[in-house]
Amino acid sequence: MTAPIELINVTKSYGDFNAVNDVSFTVPEGTVCGFLGPNGAGKTTCIRMMLDILRPTSGTISILGAPRALDVRGRIGYLPEEKGLYKKMTAASIIAYFATLKGMPSALAKKTARELLERYGLGAFQDHKCEALSKGMGQKVQVLASIAHEPDLVILDEPFSGLDPVNQGVMEEVIRDLRAKGSTVLFSTHVMSHAERVCERIVVISAGSLVFDGDVHEARALLPRRVRVRGSNIDEVLGQLPEVVNSAPSADGREGVTELTLREGADPQLLLKTAFDSGIALEVFEVVDPNLHEVFVHLVGEEAREAAIR
Amino acid sequence: MKLIFRIAIREYLENVKTKGFWIGILLFPLLVWMMIEIPKFLEERGIPTRNLIIIDRSDGLGEIARERIKLLNRQKTLGDLQVHIAKHTADMRDQMMDDNQVDAVDVLDQLEKGLEQLSRSDIEINIFSPDQLVKVADLLPEEMLLDDDKWKFFKTMVGSQLPEDAPEFVEPPARFREVALIDEISLDDDDEAIENHLKPYLRAEQNYPTDDGEIELFALVIIPENALDPEQDLHFWSSNLADTDLIDAILKSLSEEARKREYTRHGIESEVVAEVASLKVRSVNFNPNKSEGDEKVGIRDKIRQYAPIGFVYLLWIAIFSIAQMLLNNTIEEKSNRVIEVLLSSVTTTELLMGKVFGVAAVGVTMQIAWIGSLIGILRLKAGPSATWIADLIAAVISPELLGGFVFYFIAGYFFYAFLFAGIGSICNTIKEAQNFLSPLMLVMMVPLGTMTFIPNDPNGAIATTLSWIPPWTPFVMMNRMAANPPDFDVYGTAIMMLVSVVLVFLASAKIFRIGVLRTGQPPKLLELLGWLRSKTF
Repeated sequence: MTAPIELINVTKSYGDFNAVNDVSFTVPEGTVCGFLGPNGAGKTTCIRMMLDILRPTSGTISILGAPRALDVRGRIGYLPEEKGLYKKMTAASIIAYFATLKGMPSALAKKTARELLERYGLGAFQDHKCEALSKGMGQKVQVLASIAHEPDLVILDEPFSGLDPVNQGVMEEVIRDLRAKGSTVLFSTHVMSHAERVCERIVVISAGSLVFDGDVHEARALLPRRVRVRGSNIDEVLGQLPEVVNSAPSADGREGVTELTLREGADPQLLLKTAFDSGIALEVFEVVDPNLHEVFVHLVGEEAREAAIR
Repeated sequence: MKLIFRIAIREYLENVKTKGFWIGILLFPLLVWMMIEIPKFLEERGIPTRNLIIIDRSDGLGEIARERIKLLNRQKTLGDLQVHIAKHTADMRDQMMDDNQVDAVDVLDQLEKGLEQLSRSDIEINIFSPDQLVKVADLLPEEMLLDDDKWKFFKTMVGSQLPEDAPEFVEPPARFREVALIDEISLDDDDEAIENHLKPYLRAEQNYPTDDGEIELFALVIIPENALDPEQDLHFWSSNLADTDLIDAILKSLSEEARKREYTRHGIESEVVAEVASLKVRSVNFNPNKSEGDEKVGIRDKIRQYAPIGFVYLLWIAIFSIAQMLLNNTIEEKSNRVIEVLLSSVTTTELLMGKVFGVAAVGVTMQIAWIGSLIGILRLKAGPSATWIADLIAAVISPELLGGFVFYFIAGYFFYAFLFAGIGSICNTIKEAQNFLSPLMLVMMVPLGTMTFIPNDPNGAIATTLSWIPPWTPFVMMNRMAANPPDFDVYGTAIMMLVSVVLVFLASAKIFRIGVLRTGQPPKLLELLGWLRSKTF
């Protein structure tokens, strides 16, 4: 069984500029994969190449086992980064239209469109023209249009942008529903909290190059764990342990709390044991796992900043 | 194929739902209706009678001018009477044609024979005016019209042709009417005094009093003492110097009189001169391209030559009406990024084809509606005469000719449709599109300009050259079709047109593919050429 998405040494250049540089990664079937990277990293270019809207300068791409996405277009759902709809079409008819273009029979497409609109809270707007919908509603309609034909692979470019927190929740629900049905989902974002909540895997690119490809645990493991403690003689005792590489006042603003950064692979329980053995009464003991946001900044921070300055 | 069809259906339905489409459909019959009704309305109101004053200082030349005015008035009355009769006998004639199983071709044959006789005289024949092919007035000698008794008799005789149930003919107001001088001036006053006195009336500052009430004075004509002397000129005073009918007629009658007197002075009888002057050498025209025994060039050839103008117009309007739709649609999809979703579902080729077919279907719907409403209105408003012309045109257009029109129409239509879709794909706004559109519109103006002179020299150098330039080929070839252009031109340009359509399609598809995903400034021309050469995108 081939992976739904497989990129091997893919490069896309415009003249001298390499928008995507020698990127290789795979997304296994049935996973939800976050496609992360700062602005201008090449996410959209990669996605367009996966969909065969752009052709790579070199390298090979395999989508659902086919060399060209157009060969399996009926099994792919796509939500582009810049969202738009035909202004004069109704919500239901536009969803049905896109589904028929994917090969769904007309009658079924119409039925599915109405069902989807009902399920995700837009039942009342089925027959409203798209120009009469709010931005968020329009975006939801477009997401539904991209999944109405029940695709095996769904590629969503920035699905959360422009949505309010409630609708971001709905979007997460859509992604979870897709996974429950067994679809493979790849979505790009630069908001790490969404990735953290729904992804199993993440792929990070920066300045056109792959910087990380793995599951979320592996990503978190890239950063050392930290422990926040409050008590007496912290620096003298715990700070001197070989497992502790750094000790500093906690950034969370609580008085007297110290944040200790552990060496990679060190067990936080060791600190608890040492404190107990040394008779230190701990008022606070918290193990802080690095979040994806920190991992992301760690992975691409410098380059992103540079890119921003450029 | 199925996807092309689905895209085309959506394009079609979306366009048909727009207000613009319905305005377009309804506006046309409205315009046609107005074109028929407004002249009728104006005609009913009529050109007002032109009132004039003649001051005659000569030895009776004024009478000659007055005779001429009388002639003009009677000719107009007779013309109106003829149209009146034609209108009220049209149904009867139609019925007769139906009863006797006469078709338009037979009528045309009869007509051609009859008109050939007539054309040996100087009578003007207007084939496109079935109500008045020939003016009866032209057939009658002037003396007959000027003789009051004969005029009365003739009027009654012509009037008796009118069917019983037809409304009676109401004589139109006279075209020109001489009014008497007001009391304040007399013929004894000198010209300048008369002129000065009448100026306020001629300037329409004052109405001129007559026995019948106040009227508007149109003109003052002063015929000097020795008016026929080349040194002497008539004075013609009028605020409306654009209407020259009156003075032209007077000058013509006086010039004739001058010549007549000169002939007499030289001892030549003026009747002899008139006879000699009417001698004419004539020709019969033959066309070697026509089949043997049928080489004579007649009325039907004239119709055949000019009928294509209608098709050229139709193609032009068809292209014009879809251009905007194609541009708008492509630009809308591009600017709201729907295009990206579309391109993940269909190929550029499918999208382009679907769009063009969909919009083409909209255009065809519009034209069918137009032609339908045109025929409907003509039947209702213009009566059988209009269908008579249509029958005539249909009779002279052979299936081959029609086939040619259909081919060039379709080829021209798709040539431009793909071109416009390609342009739409590289522009983000209508404003940007205008920059590309203006030169294209100029190109499209050319066939409109050449349309009228190509029938005069359908196989000449200009027509032949223009036929081989693809944007103009369909228009020019349609124009030339009736004149039996050489086979090389017909088949050559047909093949070239097919190749051009394919090339424009391929180029547009490529530009479309790159253009639709591009944002920002539209590309420069050089850049476009680069796109056409590029292998990847």
